[in-house]
Amino acid sequence: MEAAARPPRRRRRDLLEERRFLAPALIAPAVIFVGLLVGAPLILSVYLSLTDATAGSLTGDFVGFRNYTEQWSDPNFRTALRNTIVFTLLANAIVILGASILSHFLIREFRGKWFLRFLVLLPWAAPVALSTIGFLWIFDSLFSVVNWTLVHLSLVDKFNPPQWLGEPNKALAAITTVHAWRLLPFATVIMIAGLASIPKEVDDAAKVDGATGLKKLWFVTLPLQLPIATIAVLFGIVFTATDMAVVYILTRGGPFNSTQMLPMWAFQTGIQAGSLGQGAAIALFLLPVLALVTVLMLLFARRVEVT
Amino acid sequence: MPIRRRDNLLAYLIVGPFALVLAFPFYWMLQTSLKSELDLYNTENVPFSFGKGSPTLDNYRFLFSDTQYARWLLNTVLVGVVVVLITLAVALPAGYALARLSGRWGQSLGVGLFLVYLVPPTLLFLPLSRVIAEVGLQDRLASLILVYPGFTIPFATWLLMGFFKSIPRELEDAALVDGASRLGTLVRIVFPISLPGILTVVIFTFSLCVNEFVYAIAFITHSDSKVISTGIYTELIRGDVFYWGALMAATLIPSIPLALLYNTFLDRFIAGFTGGAFR
Amino acid sequence: MADDSRTIDRPNEEVAGGRVTRREILRKAGAGTLLIVYGGAVPKTAAAGAPKFRGKELAGTLRIVQWSHFVPAYDKWFDNTYVKRWGQANDTEVLVDHINQADIPARAAAEVAAQSGHDIFFFLSPPAAYEDQVIDHADIVQEVSKKRGKMKDVALKATYNPKTKKYFAFSDNYAPDPVNYRTDLWGEVGLKPTSWDNVLKAAPKLREMGHPIGVGMSNEIDSNMALMAMMMCFGSFIQSKDQHVVLNSKETVAVLKFARELYRQGMSNEIFAWTAASNNQAMLAGRLSMTMNAISITRSAELSNPDLASKIELMPIPKGPHGRLGLEHVMGAYVIWKFAKNKPMAKKFLVDLETKYIGAFENSKFYNFPSWPSAVTNIARRVERDAVAKPSGKYKVLAEIADKYTLNPGWPGNTNAAIDEIFNKFMIPQMFAEVAQGKRTPEDAAKVYDRSFRSIFQRWRNRGKI
Repeated sequence: MEAAARPPRRRRRDLLEERRFLAPALIAPAVIFVGLLVGAPLILSVYLSLTDATAGSLTGDFVGFRNYTEQWSDPNFRTALRNTIVFTLLANAIVILGASILSHFLIREFRGKWFLRFLVLLPWAAPVALSTIGFLWIFDSLFSVVNWTLVHLSLVDKFNPPQWLGEPNKALAAITTVHAWRLLPFATVIMIAGLASIPKEVDDAAKVDGATGLKKLWFVTLPLQLPIATIAVLFGIVFTATDMAVVYILTRGGPFNSTQMLPMWAFQTGIQAGSLGQGAAIALFLLPVLALVTVLMLLFARRVEVT
Repeated sequence: MPIRRRDNLLAYLIVGPFALVLAFPFYWMLQTSLKSELDLYNTENVPFSFGKGSPTLDNYRFLFSDTQYARWLLNTVLVGVVVVLITLAVALPAGYALARLSGRWGQSLGVGLFLVYLVPPTLLFLPLSRVIAEVGLQDRLASLILVYPGFTIPFATWLLMGFFKSIPRELEDAALVDGASRLGTLVRIVFPISLPGILTVVIFTFSLCVNEFVYAIAFITHSDSKVISTGIYTELIRGDVFYWGALMAATLIPSIPLALLYNTFLDRFIAGFTGGAFR
Repeated sequence: MADDSRTIDRPNEEVAGGRVTRREILRKAGAGTLLIVYGGAVPKTAAAGAPKFRGKELAGTLRIVQWSHFVPAYDKWFDNTYVKRWGQANDTEVLVDHINQADIPARAAAEVAAQSGHDIFFFLSPPAAYEDQVIDHADIVQEVSKKRGKMKDVALKATYNPKTKKYFAFSDNYAPDPVNYRTDLWGEVGLKPTSWDNVLKAAPKLREMGHPIGVGMSNEIDSNMALMAMMMCFGSFIQSKDQHVVLNSKETVAVLKFARELYRQGMSNEIFAWTAASNNQAMLAGRLSMTMNAISITRSAELSNPDLASKIELMPIPKGPHGRLGLEHVMGAYVIWKFAKNKPMAKKFLVDLETKYIGAFENSKFYNFPSWPSAVTNIARRVERDAVAKPSGKYKVLAEIADKYTLNPGWPGNTNAAIDEIFNKFMIPQMFAEVAQGKRTPEDAAKVYDRSFRSIFQRWRNRGKI
């Protein structure tokens, strides 16, 4: 509309110069790629969730919303849903707090910064399926280095130390820790980038106005950080809520189903146990919620950006 | 400068503990990877020191001589690099178009692309494996190269859109007034300024590829074509026997150079931001 | 040896899709890196025969995928010796891939979704859920039975669906599931784990000595097998012979109470946190006084700690009020997909593998027991004469366990898709853990789990599989 209404000010250009054509031409590959590789399979998954398909078969008898209602009344599903939310919120609270602090210091220059930053970045560099194996060893029922240390500080009983993956609350804490651990570097990097993009003039102006320390942080830095922080949180949420690796490797949902979470439960039900239709329903359950959260956060990030 | 020193000290006090906690698991992997099995399973030993038969490089030797570890590393890098290239080729123009050329519908499309990223791979791998088989890529590395852009492009497009928005329009307008074409401006003016953003996308995309494992499990069983995550699972977890030392070594080996690489690039693009052209 | 392995390696790269990879790598990487990669690596995928056929056309290609065996030597023998010879004899190129046992379900689902993949797919437990996707394996069973007599009941009941009258898998082997216990520690207590009563009696003393009992209650396979077997010893069953849920019984309540008592008196919290490897490691660390597992514990100990190995003895499952009823530990179950490209050779391969099982039996260090007992002659004497066993004759008991105390999951019924689902969701260990941790009373647990089992059974009944 806008483009068409504009009078031809400059000399005639070829089609590619027209916004109307250029924009779609530039965007099309991305849309096609993603539509074919994610969109189409997603539609198929939605269809599967409405059938009684089993074990890898991509067809089944239509059962309406029965898979959804059955899961909704399954206590394991409820636990999984609750845990997914708990993991996501807790881990991201820790991450965003840690990342704001870390980025605040890592943006400055100090001796040895390069090395410290290298250490901070390590968790992000390790493939999650492997680094979680590292945590499986750290939290091992018998050889846990955490427990060894606690025992030798005389804080816990040598014979019956805490079982980080065997007691519901501790296992929840362990899983949250691993998520926070692996997401923190990523969020920190985004936040550093955000901090670095604050123009020096703003800093100078703040200085002139006498805003320093906490005051500056609250009134100047934080508001300017907010959009980028929103993005960092958004990715954090997506990474935690859709991740299966950590729970799969550490507890497989145990002890009993106390650390079950949705992607894991979907995998267990749909792939391992062969009830594919049910699994699809579980996997898709969170999608509308996540979508809503995402849209709200993106809108928020943009609004803040504009002002 | 006493203030300067106090600031430095504060930085160490704050960043130091974070760094210790974040890096501890890697120290622990190193420690474990140097131990003999006998030492590892002896609960009487101090885990921080070495016991009988340790330290030893046996686990590393085992990885490189008895498994195809080196091959899997190369495969992982190969997939990462090619996917990064594809992602950039698709996401750069798309991100630019969304940032500059499109109106409201572009914004919605941007959000829509992002939403795609929320779809969990848990079950998506099933329909996709049909696609992979149809195009004849089952058990080939190319299957991952085809599929990974599906989740890296939305991410990259979104990030690049943000970076392009932060570039002042005046720079482009000046070039346009000088008679350059839009595409020419894009290639000659916009992309070079966006180098920090591009670097970010490169790093993020690469790390997403290295992290992915659901598709890698589902699509590839052929040992020659495995990536590290799946290859290691096959060779180092045998039934109910974990080869802990080798597992830890296998994690450590790619992590350290990757972190070094990330760290190096990070320095560049932050410097590019603060001292760069568009401030 | 190195040269030899390279000639094996080459044909498979040409055929099985390695070609693209190789070219890509050649383009990207320097020759030096390549040297390291190819010089240092032993081929993990075996291909057989192709260059050796004297100008004959190949009868075809056969693709097999199976787990990476816990005995690495088994894979080497299978890939490089057995398959190679079979391929030459049968004019067929055989390609074997290996995956981690935990990745089997994902890959199986992916192959079914793709309707393409391997001809022969290996499961580590009877894959009843895939019944519609596989051929009827009846003729393979008949063929082997013609040559080797009767199939073991445990294998029959684990792979045959009486409702649809279909063999949904072909079981080549199963692993007996003995008790592993420390003779030195139990000697001090003056008891033997011959009955669950004895176990409970010895448990407090053993734990006092710092060596608890280790029966897992975690979401992993060893817990599944040990607890399901313990249930049967107490007369508690998931289903009846005609496949109806009968969990809610006074026997189930009794076994739950017993297990809770055993946990309180003689185990530690560790059992809730276990992975499949944990009881192995705890045994190898000398902590546990008893656990249930296939022979992976003693085999690992023989390699790394022979001293300890000599103190670990094997025994049949302890006797309970209902008798001595044990389960297989894992069951090797091959399926041939309906979409398999080379069904005739796939069938022949399985028939031949089972008919002469001696190589598999010995190279697995007696882990794989043949599903047709007469496929290996003199099993009892062979296990008795195991060369590394200390004390010698240690593995003799395996033959007895295999003979008398090895049943299928879901016994007295057949292993069906519902049992499979209960198994894969680890619902039995969950039931026990909830009771042991005091989250539910035994009565409540029996009732609640009975109800969820019924709904799982109902779902599979609706699909016509039970």
